[in-house]
Amino acid sequence: MRRLREGIVASLALVPSVFVYGTVFGGLAVQAGLRPLEVLGMSVLVFAGASQFVAVPMLAGGAPALAIVVTTYVINMRHYLMAATLAPSFRAFPRPWLALVAHVINDESFAVAVARANPPDPWVFIGSAAAVSGAFLAGVTVGTPLGGLVADPARWGLDFAFPAVFLALLALQLRRASDWVVALAAAVVAVAVALVLPGTWHVVIAGFVVSTAAAFVMDPERA
Amino acid sequence: MWVVIAGMALATYLTRAPLLLALARRPLPPRLRLWLRLIPLAVLPALAVPMVLVERGSAGAHVVLAVGHAPLWGALVVLALAARRVNLLVTVAAGVAVVALLRGLA
Repeated sequence: MRRLREGIVASLALVPSVFVYGTVFGGLAVQAGLRPLEVLGMSVLVFAGASQFVAVPMLAGGAPALAIVVTTYVINMRHYLMAATLAPSFRAFPRPWLALVAHVINDESFAVAVARANPPDPWVFIGSAAAVSGAFLAGVTVGTPLGGLVADPARWGLDFAFPAVFLALLALQLRRASDWVVALAAAVVAVAVALVLPGTWHVVIAGFVVSTAAAFVMDPERA
Repeated sequence: MWVVIAGMALATYLTRAPLLLALARRPLPPRLRLWLRLIPLAVLPALAVPMVLVERGSAGAHVVLAVGHAPLWGALVVLALAARRVNLLVTVAAGVAVVALLRGLA
């Protein structure tokens, strides 16, 4: 259980921001007309912050259910890449466990786990997912009756905790020259795509295209 | 409302479970293993860099490279500390503090 604790401790940098954004989501969702049980239910059952923030104004604006579901799917397509990366780590786990672990795949825990080891340690990932989901659900629970605890989280730099964690964890993984090329190419492609496409298409496209192209070009025996 | 929530939950689960279940069991060929190793190197900058450089508004998205753009300085601080293997909590706290400070001054 040392690894489990390692995953929790490694995620503490994220807990305040995840909690505050949980409160903001709870507050916004209630204002948009969702009942408290629906807000918490969505957070437990969907558990994908970015898509939930997008769904709330759509729900409030009376968007068709299918449009909301399809938008959610597209925003969360980046999970395919994370699930593929995490899969070999969970070889020893029984399938019902995998079905549960799949549900808690999230950007932050993915980043924490792959920065420590690749293939990642499964228990580090589970520990991190416990910390992140705990902070998010606690935030939602507090924010639903009280509204967002911080009116403008960006004023306090809290929005910056997310890119900060991703950048810091990326820096730990840049060992070879080829790693730098892949990371820089992905950054350039992602920025270009983010300028023309909405949502998280840039993560899906840059993440998939650049990693796949590099895997074809590089020599698996040497890389 | 619950129908929409159930639809969102199912759509999201379909992005998470299939590959985790499919790739967990079999031994993987070297090029596929290479691809899996490279995914985080592509996904992490794809998540982070647009958050720092791209501003999205109702008028459309554009790249911000101005000296007064706080996240730019936060990112430099984070990268400098992370390169020195400073603890993640300290690194992120420093980045957040720099951004909060610059936005407070602006």
